[in-house]
Amino acid sequence: MKTLYVDGSGFLHRLSARAKLVLLAAASLALFLIQSPLVLGVGAVASGLLFGSLRIGWRQTWLRLRVLFLTIAAVALFTLVFNSPVEAVSVFFRLSALALLASAVTATTTTGDFITEVTFAALPLEKLGLVKAADIGLSIGLVLRFIPEILLRHQAIRDAHIARGLRPRTLSIIVPLIILTLKNADEIASAIDARAIRAQK
Amino acid sequence: MPTRDLVLAALFAAIIIVLGLVPPVMLGFIPVPITAQSLGVMLAGVVLGAKRGTIAVLLVLVLAAIGLPVLSGGRGGLAVFMAPTTGYLIGWVFAAMVTGYLSQIMVGRDQAGLVQGVNFFIAALMGGVIVLYGIGITYLALITGMGFVKAFLGSLAFIPGDVLKAVIAALAGRAVMAGYPLLPQRA
Repeated sequence: MKTLYVDGSGFLHRLSARAKLVLLAAASLALFLIQSPLVLGVGAVASGLLFGSLRIGWRQTWLRLRVLFLTIAAVALFTLVFNSPVEAVSVFFRLSALALLASAVTATTTTGDFITEVTFAALPLEKLGLVKAADIGLSIGLVLRFIPEILLRHQAIRDAHIARGLRPRTLSIIVPLIILTLKNADEIASAIDARAIRAQK
Repeated sequence: MPTRDLVLAALFAAIIIVLGLVPPVMLGFIPVPITAQSLGVMLAGVVLGAKRGTIAVLLVLVLAAIGLPVLSGGRGGLAVFMAPTTGYLIGWVFAAMVTGYLSQIMVGRDQAGLVQGVNFFIAALMGGVIVLYGIGITYLALITGMGFVKAFLGSLAFIPGDVLKAVIAALAGRAVMAGYPLLPQRA
């Protein structure tokens, strides 16, 4: 699975992940407090320039942002029809700025840096005894490890349907997929414990 | 948490992601293709129960947040958490939790097949439709300032599809329980 991170060495790439997340949170708070469409418009253009400075390329930008902007356009249109044009413009600029800023953080922060931040954020929860912070990295690794395997299994079950002249249907695919996959759980759990990866007990 | 529960949650998170990656399939009885990712959320609750199901959904959201395109249509990154529809992603966590909790207390091994199926359906409907849309619509209304009634009207078109998914989740949940019983070992 390919991440949305893009290689680079610009200002945003050099900024620490934590600083970027704090700045993003501050920016989103500010965007919701500002009501003036003019200021929001300036914010949206600035966010667009920031995102553009990453040089992601038109095709990649389109692929990343199309669904988001479809949703934003739908909400703005809805606001235009039911509320006022001024509010519609505000909503459009505010949501666009947010989408662009968040996409910029995602494009300039590696998955590893993010996992470090998530683990750090989970430390207070560990103190409360709710989770083990180290388990988060392990679980993420497990999920990524098994996505290709489950995709192959899904394909195999589909092919088996077609080979028997049956139409692949959601229900008849999903039941064997779940049972086959979860049957592995015991083996995987034993393998993890045998290697003392979680180092507990 | 036992390692087995951690692995079960991680495997189910991978199943939810795969359901978003594969091309949508026909349900069989209606001629509209559906994406199965939100079906996966209901199934996480139905099959794994409240605790492990919630962890599975949280894992999917963490993967999306750290920049992996794991949501249906190849969406991912922090931007999906800054969108007007973010409430539905937050709602997933509680949908899996409520579906799982209700499945745990309502469905028993000694019930007749039909009763199990109906109970699973009620659990999936409460979690995957009522709780999910409650949170999604509230968030949409507050973030955009469009008001509850309009947010509800804007979301109305998607509800029939999700009710159908609750039916599928109930049928699949019963079939999995019969084929590979996890329920007695529920956390």
